[in-house]
Amino acid sequence: MTRTTNQTQFGFGRKDWVSGRTLGLIMFAGALMIAMSLASPNFLTQETFFSQSRYIAFYMLVAMSQAVCLAVGDLNLTVGAVGSITTVALGLLISPDHAHLSAWLAVPLVFLVGPLTGLLHGQIITRLKIDAFIVTLSMMFVYMGLRSGVSGGNSYTIPESFWWLGQGGIAGWMPYMVLIVLGILWAVSYMYSHTVVGRRLLATGSNSEAARLSGINTNRMIVVAHILAGGFAALAAIMWASWSGNAAPQTGDDWLIISFAVAIIGGTGLKGSLISPLGIFMGAIIFKLIQHSLVILKINDNFSNTLLGALILLAIIVDRAREHLEKSGQSKPA
Amino acid sequence: MLELRHISKSFPGVRALDDVSLEFQAGEIHGLIGENGAGKSTAIKIVTGIYQPDAGEIVFDGKAIRFTDYRDSLAKGIGIVHQELHVIPDASVAENIMIDKLVTRGLGVVDWPATFRGAQKHLDLVGLDVPADRQVRGLSAARKQLIQIAKALSAEVKVLLLDEPTSSLTEHEARRLFELLRELRDKGVTIIFVSHKLDEGLGLCDRVSVLRDGKFVGTRRNPAARTQLSTKPQSDTRLRAAELVQMMIGRESNEAHLGMLSPDWNTEVLRVENIVRCDKAEGISFTLHRGEILGFYGLVGSGRTELARILIGEDTMDSGKLLVRGKVAEIHNVGQSLYQYGIGYVTENRKEEGLLLEDSVQTNLTMTIWPKLRHALSRRINPVAEAATATRCVDSMKIRTPNLFQRVKNLSGGNQQKVSIGKWLTADCDILIIDEPTVGVDVGAKEQIHQLIWDLAARQGKSIILISSDLPEIVRIVNRMLIFREHRVVGEVRDIDVKRKTYAEVSQEIAPYLE
Repeated sequence: MTRTTNQTQFGFGRKDWVSGRTLGLIMFAGALMIAMSLASPNFLTQETFFSQSRYIAFYMLVAMSQAVCLAVGDLNLTVGAVGSITTVALGLLISPDHAHLSAWLAVPLVFLVGPLTGLLHGQIITRLKIDAFIVTLSMMFVYMGLRSGVSGGNSYTIPESFWWLGQGGIAGWMPYMVLIVLGILWAVSYMYSHTVVGRRLLATGSNSEAARLSGINTNRMIVVAHILAGGFAALAAIMWASWSGNAAPQTGDDWLIISFAVAIIGGTGLKGSLISPLGIFMGAIIFKLIQHSLVILKINDNFSNTLLGALILLAIIVDRAREHLEKSGQSKPA
Repeated sequence: MLELRHISKSFPGVRALDDVSLEFQAGEIHGLIGENGAGKSTAIKIVTGIYQPDAGEIVFDGKAIRFTDYRDSLAKGIGIVHQELHVIPDASVAENIMIDKLVTRGLGVVDWPATFRGAQKHLDLVGLDVPADRQVRGLSAARKQLIQIAKALSAEVKVLLLDEPTSSLTEHEARRLFELLRELRDKGVTIIFVSHKLDEGLGLCDRVSVLRDGKFVGTRRNPAARTQLSTKPQSDTRLRAAELVQMMIGRESNEAHLGMLSPDWNTEVLRVENIVRCDKAEGISFTLHRGEILGFYGLVGSGRTELARILIGEDTMDSGKLLVRGKVAEIHNVGQSLYQYGIGYVTENRKEEGLLLEDSVQTNLTMTIWPKLRHALSRRINPVAEAATATRCVDSMKIRTPNLFQRVKNLSGGNQQKVSIGKWLTADCDILIIDEPTVGVDVGAKEQIHQLIWDLAARQGKSIILISSDLPEIVRIVNRMLIFREHRVVGEVRDIDVKRKTYAEVSQEIAPYLE
């Protein structure tokens, strides 16, 4: 028998399955990239990179907010709603017309909104034993009502002193946002591959009964996943506000579909226990490239949701087909 | 009437049926026997269209036929009564029986009086004395079983398959069921009776076919079934029983005890005092010693698994006391039982509750010791130590896997079971509760698992509680056993290993407790 430690950095959970898939994504993204640069001469420029890479970083955060929940076997419908209440909270605290606190004080406080909502969701799910789908669905509307009621639909100004996070970068080339998100991606990756918590999160998603009967506190794992999810959503909201220079309450309205699309294209299993940070990275790139190509092809932006929905289904269908092929290829006894 | 010709069927990791040919005649009760994992269930699932064979054909009424699914085979006159009770608890008895043929008055509106009348007819047929409009919830297991039989009969089947129908019945209820089956046979219905109990095969069946390790072994006539009416085997059938046993296990019946254990009777590792939990345990007390294997024997639902779940903190107790190594223990969850007290529980449903099927052998074996494998500062699980731990376990337990990264779902049943025991051994648990360890594993692996459990106690001084409904299994490896009935311990058999008690002696000794 082989005794090598089969360490691939392509994903965690079912490594054999994820690796091949992620390679496929890389090739697909490469092909799209080449097609794009051929179609539009000013695609491969520093400006394109500086703006588009921030979108990609932002999509990764939103997708991770979904993926950490999917990995324990839960759905998270509050991704955008948590983003929008975080945005409104940020606006209230930081805007010159309101509390006008220092960003150094306000931002950490506002960030806490995310993990706290996650803690709340996790507690409701595990203590009251209500399905995550129902809990996050109801809470989504709770938050959406709150943000409309509190904000009255008006945007808040973000003082210029806090624009650096979303708009700044090193040497006009590498945005801070991208660096931060890549750091987070690495940390998440490390967590799932090398720490007890990460592996227990995956075990919970794989079979929560078996995990619990093997001594894993699965309820705590579910709470942890939702806390992380809230944190990512809040961080995404803060970065978006800093980037756009104002805190618009409608922030987050389109995040839910983005979170599913990027996470699923990126190879996050819908039935839990399968998450691939590199896959999410590639998923975000592919997602951005597809959006970009819609612009080049001059397709009406209003159709974008139709395309996103179809894209998610397509990704799932391709995965099913792969799984099916894999199964029929190995029906002989081990 | 119905024939299987050269049927083969494989699942990942197991060849469930290998070139099996069986033939059933009209108006006979045909026993299909074999040990757990012999292929009985697969065979009947193929007959009822739930599985499709990989090779071979089914001949029904002289025509080769292929059932697309369960409904298809039912429509053609083959009904099945499953071992598990598949009833809809909140629906009425009548709805359960008539669910796929509710009488309607057009536009899909149910004609309840007609439906109840239809159901009543079938209730009378099976002799079930329950109002048709009663809710099924709360009926006894036997009555639910009869409801399922009535449902199968209501389809006017020509062939009726019963998969271990007596496993949840008392002896009296079983006898009534047999009378009903004989009546049906005399009306010309072919009855295929799947069982691993020999007594039933000999008392009831006109012919008996034996499967072993997925292969057909042989068919024997049993003229005695037509003459005798008791389920107890009589003297002239003794010889046949021995012959059938040999056919089932492929060698002389191996009932010999694995050897004498030498428990340290002065060291109590576990002491349970009067544990009570509403509907699950009614005042249970026992002790477990170092190096001892203690058997828990009883019918399904007699309270053994329920007690195990209380011990590991998965369920709470209303009152009672638990002492681990002499100290009072309060266990609230499995993590505590594992990390604080070193108690492991190998679940009875390994696929649902024991294993992460989609994950690797390594992950399954090491998930119980991740916290111990991590670096004090970086909190990183040491990958080298993890692989080494898994390798040691794979080697010492002789788990057959191509590598540590094989997904557990691709292993055979026996190797899966070893993995689900192994994860407690890597964690170095001193006390193991092992629940039905050999259900669904093939004969060779069963032998290995018995030896493994015995070695753990005899050579490593582990203390083991073995829960099993398989009496020969318990008799082979334990030194003491408790008999469970209706959530109580009703009896105890001591010195099974010391006095080398045989299966027959023990079953005689426990008979009074189970009556």
